[in-house]
Amino acid sequence: MKASFRDELVPVSALNEYVYCPRRFYYQRYQDEIGTPYELVDGRSKHERQSRRGGWVRERYFRSNDLGLHGKIDLVESNDETLTPVERKRAESAEYYPSDEVQLAGYCMLLETALDESVNVGYIYLYSTDQRYAIQITENHRKTVREIVRHIRTMTVDSIPPLTDNPSKCEACSAREYCMPEETAMLEPDKAKGTGFEREERR
Amino acid sequence: MKASEGMFDESVIFVTKQGTQVRTDEGRIVVWDVDGDDGELASYPTEKLDTINVFGGVNFSTPFVARANEHGIVLNYFTQNGKYRGSFVPERNTIAEIRRAQYALSDDDELDLAKAMIAGKIRNARTLLSRKGVHGTDVLKDLGVRAENATNKDGLRGTEGEAAERYFNRLDETLTDGWTFEKRTKRPPEDHINSLLSLTYVMMKNEVLSGLRQYNLDPFLGVLHADRHGRPSLALDLQEEFRPIFCDAFVTRLVNRGVITHDDFTADNHLADEAFKTYLSKFDDYMQEEFTHPHFEYSVSRRKAIRQQVILLRKTMTGEMDEYHALTFDR
Ligand code: SF4
Repeated sequence: MKASFRDELVPVSALNEYVYCPRRFYYQRYQDEIGTPYELVDGRSKHERQSRRGGWVRERYFRSNDLGLHGKIDLVESNDETLTPVERKRAESAEYYPSDEVQLAGYCMLLETALDESVNVGYIYLYSTDQRYAIQITENHRKTVREIVRHIRTMTVDSIPPLTDNPSKCEACSAREYCMPEETAMLEPDKAKGTGFEREERR
Repeated sequence: MKASEGMFDESVIFVTKQGTQVRTDEGRIVVWDVDGDDGELASYPTEKLDTINVFGGVNFSTPFVARANEHGIVLNYFTQNGKYRGSFVPERNTIAEIRRAQYALSDDDELDLAKAMIAGKIRNARTLLSRKGVHGTDVLKDLGVRAENATNKDGLRGTEGEAAERYFNRLDETLTDGWTFEKRTKRPPEDHINSLLSLTYVMMKNEVLSGLRQYNLDPFLGVLHADRHGRPSLALDLQEEFRPIFCDAFVTRLVNRGVITHDDFTADNHLADEAFKTYLSKFDDYMQEEFTHPHFEYSVSRRKAIRQQVILLRKTMTGEMDEYHALTFDR
């Protein structure tokens, strides 16, 4: 059997990767080809510094066979006996992305299976602006999480996801040099059908 | 369209100064003049490098070798005048899926790849000749078609050999007065032009090898060149399309512009020390020189274009792309 997540739990961080671009996730999963994630490295060292402050539960690992998910929540805030996961986002961006919300939703769902009570709010904290946003976890978020888990678990090495339909993502994508989206569209236009790289027939 | 920012151009360095040591210093790789008094000669960010070529009396500090291993930096050893001695290849996590795909290629898959490479080579041979004003290359055109239609590897090799002979017959016409090219001789090269060609093919083979290693293809498992112990067959295969348009073009440029003269050679047809240093720095410049990519239409360095071919080859092997698109120049 080729490597896939079929019988494995999906790490919550994979949700974020997958939402950013399934193709990039594929490269990372099967080909170890994502370029150097400078931003991640940066974010990590900041985490270390922050984690010395008090008042929070840190680095808790959760897993759920029912959800098909597992992951470490690096920060859980406890207030009035409610627990709220906090997802801290790396340096440069002054905003968070839908993919961050999905990841946070994944953490909330994991936390609630562990606590056996609902967790409907999580926080996204941005280093760049020192802002914290309370995110209401909706039924839509939950559905998205379940769908992505299903996609990831059924992904195989033989079927590479198409190029993204949002080429602006490629500009910041660390796999771009390897992925060669525009170049692929020029060499094999078929491969770009229905993606953001489909162009009018050139004569 | 713009080529995405790359790190390939500075990814290969050449260390030729004798009596130097390559060491690490605060996360950078430093070339230090240990025998002389010049101190630090050059320094490079570790993350950017993937290949270091050293010539003759250059040594490495132990921490540097550990760092090279950690960062996947390949070290190629040459004698002072450019004879290849061997390599230090770092352990790298083998990406099983890539190797699996490469090992699983069928004979037909291999033939398809080889046909694209050889047809590309023949196309580029014609283009080089016509750029230099050599006309009457229709035979090459026909041979290109024959390569595309080859039904087995032996037939393809035959066509390739015939095209090479025709092409080399005409190469003489691209050279300036005072230089002649009679026929291709390899071991040993019998004249100065053959010596420059051989040297340039070795340098190019190493460029291609670096690329294959970086993308975790097995350079020893070829699609056309026979696998022989210790021979990087896949690098030799992929090199084919670059030979005329990059290697031979480089050699003709060197002699036609007078960068290298007959006086630069020793009695056994090797470049003398100083000329060899000139050669290497010109070669490196040439690899970093940009041209308009014939398929992608942006400006890109030769080194990067070669790495891109490695990527395209890998994508073909893993089935991500339908066919291998050789780097061909129509004009
Ligand atoms: S370059 Fe674009 S299509 Fe390719 S993996 Fe990155 S985001 Fe996806």
